[in-house]
Amino acid sequence: MRILLQLALILGISFAGELLHRYVGVPIPGNIIGMLLMLILLCLKIVKLDHIKEVSNFFLKHLAFFFLPPSIGIMAAGEEVMSQWPLLMFLCVALTIVTMAATGWTVQLLSRNKRENPTTNHQPSRL
Amino acid sequence: MPLFGIFLTFIAFEIGVAIHKKWRYSLVNPLLIANVLIIGFLCVTGISYETYKIGGDYISFFLGPVTVVLAVPLYKQIQNLKKYWVSILAGICVGSLTSIFCVIATSKIFGLSETLMLSLALKSITIPMGSVVSAQIGGIPSITIIAITITGITGAVTAPLVCRFFRIKNPVAQGVAVGTASHALGTSRALEMGEVQGAMSSLSIGVAGIFTAIITPIIIPYFI
Repeated sequence: MRILLQLALILGISFAGELLHRYVGVPIPGNIIGMLLMLILLCLKIVKLDHIKEVSNFFLKHLAFFFLPPSIGIMAAGEEVMSQWPLLMFLCVALTIVTMAATGWTVQLLSRNKRENPTTNHQPSRL
Repeated sequence: MPLFGIFLTFIAFEIGVAIHKKWRYSLVNPLLIANVLIIGFLCVTGISYETYKIGGDYISFFLGPVTVVLAVPLYKQIQNLKKYWVSILAGICVGSLTSIFCVIATSKIFGLSETLMLSLALKSITIPMGSVVSAQIGGIPSITIIAITITGITGAVTAPLVCRFFRIKNPVAQGVAVGTASHALGTSRALEMGEVQGAMSSLSIGVAGIFTAIITPIIIPYFI
């Protein structure tokens, strides 16, 4: 499908998610609703992967880039954060690692009895 | 003028990517380098964050459609999702609870104020969810967003190291771990680790976000 049409489809679903959140009152953020809508449409084969191939590949490959502007918001930190920042920084970093380990171990332990390993098609793609 | 922020973002990120390509260490993350470069540039020139934000917002806008596209890796991995859904759900619940209880415990130990504790409790979930729930439970949304950002960058930078150090070898477990602990920012790294990791991480952002959004307001009153 043409690139602009692909983009229109993705923006349309994103918009639908936002509308459902704002006017129907679904208590989940619009972009997460949009993601679920897209998943449902893909599963029902209403939207096919080919329909959004180029644009979705582009977005997924450059995902980190779109998070750059919000991450600069750290500059606007208030007094309470500034006065305790080494401690807050340490807590955020340490607790992220603890959370990651706890989650990973749980999943790994519980899926140990499954014989077959998940299908891995490892494709290291760098940004 | 929006072009200033947009241009600065592109240039800083490209420099980040170039440096990352040259050294290829986990810690040399393009996002982290670009972040330091932009903040450094703004501080040196004395240009305010608000001026940068005018352009930056044009790029942040795309976070909506980008999140929608995360359904694609998820759809490609629907078989693994069906097969492992019990362990995936259990992992996300354990991870989210670990995050919330660790914040409560460390806040008590280090004597952080109640507002700070409430703001930090949501640090592992995605920005649009975290900021809304933060306000709801009595935290300060802007502090929550900062905590979410630091958490996300930590996840993106350390994910492969943490998986190696804690011997998390199962790709499904790796993906769920990264997504639950460090939302979409970590997911950007999980997508590089492999297709399974990327898909499971994308899934975990939503599920962990919903679970945390429901459970935090229930748990928190017992600790205030």
